[in-house]
Amino acid sequence: MNTLSILMSAFVLSLVGLGFFIWSQRSRLLSHDGDGSAVIFATGEIGHAETTALQPASGTDADGIDSQELLDRVAADASTAPVVFFFYCCAFVWLLVASAAGLTASIKLHAPDWLVSEAWLSFGRIRTIHLNAVAYGWAPMAGLGTALFIIPRLLKTELVGGRYALLGGALWNAALVAGLGSLAYGVSDGLEWLEIPWQIDILFVAGGALVGLPLILTLLRRKVAHLYVSVWYMGCALFWFPVLFLVANFPGIHRGVEAATMNWWFGHNVLGLFYTPLALASIYYFLPKLIGRPIQSYNLSLIGFWGLAFFYGQVGGHHLIGGPVPSWLVTLSIVQSMMMILPVVAFTVNQHLTLKGHLSALRHSPTLQFICLGGLMYTASSVQGSFEALRSVNVITHFTHYTVAHAHLGLYGFVTLTFFGAIYFVVPRITGRDWPWPRLISVHFWLAAIGIAIYFISLTIGGWLQGSAMLDESRGFMESVQLTLPYLKARSIGGGLMALSHVVFAAHFVRLLIGVRQVAQPNSTYLAAPGAL
Amino acid sequence: MSKREILPQQRRENPDPEERRTPIPWLVLALAAVLAAFGVDYISHSDVNTPPAWGDGRSLAELVGDKPAAAGARIDGGAIFTSMCAACHQATGQGLPGVFPPLAGSEWVVGKPDTAIAILLHGINGAIEVKGKVYQGAMPAFGATLGDGEIAAVLTHIRSQWGNAAAAISAETVAATRARLAQRSEPYAGGEELAKLP
Repeated sequence: MNTLSILMSAFVLSLVGLGFFIWSQRSRLLSHDGDGSAVIFATGEIGHAETTALQPASGTDADGIDSQELLDRVAADASTAPVVFFFYCCAFVWLLVASAAGLTASIKLHAPDWLVSEAWLSFGRIRTIHLNAVAYGWAPMAGLGTALFIIPRLLKTELVGGRYALLGGALWNAALVAGLGSLAYGVSDGLEWLEIPWQIDILFVAGGALVGLPLILTLLRRKVAHLYVSVWYMGCALFWFPVLFLVANFPGIHRGVEAATMNWWFGHNVLGLFYTPLALASIYYFLPKLIGRPIQSYNLSLIGFWGLAFFYGQVGGHHLIGGPVPSWLVTLSIVQSMMMILPVVAFTVNQHLTLKGHLSALRHSPTLQFICLGGLMYTASSVQGSFEALRSVNVITHFTHYTVAHAHLGLYGFVTLTFFGAIYFVVPRITGRDWPWPRLISVHFWLAAIGIAIYFISLTIGGWLQGSAMLDESRGFMESVQLTLPYLKARSIGGGLMALSHVVFAAHFVRLLIGVRQVAQPNSTYLAAPGAL
Repeated sequence: MSKREILPQQRRENPDPEERRTPIPWLVLALAAVLAAFGVDYISHSDVNTPPAWGDGRSLAELVGDKPAAAGARIDGGAIFTSMCAACHQATGQGLPGVFPPLAGSEWVVGKPDTAIAILLHGINGAIEVKGKVYQGAMPAFGATLGDGEIAAVLTHIRSQWGNAAAAISAETVAATRARLAQRSEPYAGGEELAKLP
């Protein structure tokens, strides 16, 4: 058999297998519980599904008795509050560090003589610090914090072993401080996304395991028979990440071309199988929660989840188009990149069906604005990424700023905005304090949204022109560099707005913490503070 | 279980979400079929029959391929020039005005073979006049990195390019000069010292 027929039969057989697996899940051939969907309705709750965000949903029935659902929720929150609070505080710090480093790197690209006296401020190091502060600081701290908050709620139980998660979070952050320090000092493993020296990675592994352990223990103690879709995503992210991280950082296994292949297997999968599922799980939880309407299609959730799980692991090879890797591997990665359109569309249609007719809720809930924009950007960045993998497009966009714009559409437009929304929802529930200035949430939203729009549009155009110029033999290489200058300046403006929005966000959080804790008022209407929900 | 304080934020929120079982829209199924067809079509039109050894842990030496083993086998002087000389002297052999001297029409290149060989073996550190202009030369020494055959090949190359038409230099000549200058360890201090060479 030649390579082509092996590749073709593997592709077709696995697709058929995936289709059958999803169908069997849907038909519950593989589970032995009863009607799962009934379990998650707590008594007294059926009928409340259509409440809009404007009306405070009732956790108390007509007789003033607290529902079991509310009591479960309160118990879950009480068990997670200190852990989630710690993770979010770290997330805020890394968000600010990453913004400062990113903005510095961005300005250096059009003002190369700025801040050149210190080696750690040179572009090669400060950009790496930016990437690692986002990749191992902001995104996992916000994402894991949100997961720690949501999972016990959805399992209707308390978090088991929260103190392990606290210890794990502390180890993780210590590792990140050490890692960023070594990058600033100039010590690096030399692979993108894997720059932090492997000796420090051991701390990440230990910390990550301690964070994951309570979530597994909690999963074992669940009081529901049917797992809501958010739990699938978060549970799998916690399984996938350690596998990726361990394999990629284990010293001395991969070398040469194999190391490059592994590098992008990790680099792409850490986006798609760690940040993405954490953020998607947040959208699946908060979007229906905020508009008070169930997710419309379990069937679409199945396609979205298993499609992601199956296709995503193979797409990293599209970073190596044109490289000295076996061409079957690159071809398969391109095909699977395009197949990713299916789970993305399934997710999009599902959210659209859920939101249909309830768009007015967007006006009153800034949290929902973040979540919805984040969901839209998931669709946009994923579809863009699929087409970017095609050889005809990749030949222009590879090695240009276009790729950088795409990466930020995903990790900022989608993941980061979604986590902003999650934090706005969660913080009042773990601190008992409402956001003091709801208007500031809108300021944050619009600064971030306009910032990423400027960032993305300018770099996309600049990157495309850059790629076209590099392919044109009649133009010198320097021309392809010089023509990007106005776009790089625009990127710094967009990035500046984004950084400013983060300062607003962090200041608001600090103000919430030092403010006076409001006394619990059972009848208080949150119309006075629409930002709270 | 002790009675816990219920926050107003917790009280006012909607119940946790659940899922309905709306069927998959037929458009999504159609999309799945289209994508699967695309995948089959794309794979069938791809050239995937590259050598299966690609992607393994081959070393740089293996990727470069077999070196010509026998003495006298042809060495590509042009390739050596591109990789080691062209960064300064430029692919056109014109150098950079005021910084790197030209090789095209240079009296040092087309002059005595021994002088040209000496420059490559030990380098220059000092002023040198080329085609009527003085350059502050800082030419690296290649005696340690290039073998006799390679120095001969690259010199033969530059002596025959860009209008230069001097005789080829053999590996034996280079070997002889190398032996004669073996005791020298530092670069030549410019054009004057080079001119005194026998």
